[in-house]
Amino acid sequence: MKKLLVTLMLSAMAPAAFAVTTIKAEVNGMVCAFCAKGIEKKLNALPQKQAAFVDLKSRVVALQLKDGQDVSNEAFSKVIQDAGYSVGKLERVNQTVEAIQAEVAKAEKAGSK
Amino acid sequence: MFKQHHVALGALLLSQLMMPAHAAALMGFEDSAMLMTEIGRYNQEWMLNYSPALGHAIGVEQMRMSGKGEQATTISGINYTGLIKRWNLPSAQANVWFNGSVGEARGQYDGFAYTPSLQFDMESTRLYFLAKARMIRAPNMNYDTAAVQAGFSFYETGFNQTQPWFVIEAKTMRNNDPGLQITPALRLINKNYFLEFGVTNPWQGEGFAPRLNAMFVF
Repeated sequence: MKKLLVTLMLSAMAPAAFAVTTIKAEVNGMVCAFCAKGIEKKLNALPQKQAAFVDLKSRVVALQLKDGQDVSNEAFSKVIQDAGYSVGKLERVNQTVEAIQAEVAKAEKAGSK
Repeated sequence: MFKQHHVALGALLLSQLMMPAHAAALMGFEDSAMLMTEIGRYNQEWMLNYSPALGHAIGVEQMRMSGKGEQATTISGINYTGLIKRWNLPSAQANVWFNGSVGEARGQYDGFAYTPSLQFDMESTRLYFLAKARMIRAPNMNYDTAAVQAGFSFYETGFNQTQPWFVIEAKTMRNNDPGLQITPALRLINKNYFLEFGVTNPWQGEGFAPRLNAMFVF
């Protein structure tokens, strides 16, 4: 009974503790770090930003939102467009930027083998 | 006179040739400032501009060059850079740019100077190409320039790493000596800077000259 109570408590707490929202996009035209600095600068300026990630090889740009905060897909796309690029695929994932970074690194490592 | 029209015609042709191209690369994003400089034996140039909106930048520019046996001429002016067209592809970007200054020439030649140019560049994470034609004029002065660059990166890098490139440029400047300048260069691109160190006409004892290009964005 005690075990069941603890399990119930943990499961009730879990969604709140791990409700991570990250906007992840594939960006077209992002080929050089010097040119793509604008994306990083604009993402870093967003007050809703928890963490951001830009990767040239996979063309991925990810913005992890602070708990309880949101940025619309349109506003995110505008950040990319204002920096001079266009958005290909855009999705919302329940992964941290750190996890996406690790996933991308793993895929690139596998691809280079 | 016929020769003087060649570069202008070349610029026009270049702009027409570029239209069917589909790809991407130059700098500047909204609310950024950029410092660009070229320091070489035959020409020196620096420009500082500010981009209030994507695709537009205004700034100041100074360039210095000289012909054979001539005193150097310095042009100081107000510069505008405009993005005419950009193509964003999954793994490449291409751009057509207008750039030009109006100002004053001083030195061997004096008076009102203007320097309109058209540039096309396309770039992937591994390959790079650029073609540029520029009129550099003042009363009795013509330093019209045409240049092509091509290069490749040694390997792909992440956003926070420095990427090395090999780039070779062929440039002609009217009334300049040497008229044809070939510059192989090593280019380093980082998210904070762009540095290029090259040697112009390395096979030509007298014409041999190191050249440094740098760009910083703030």
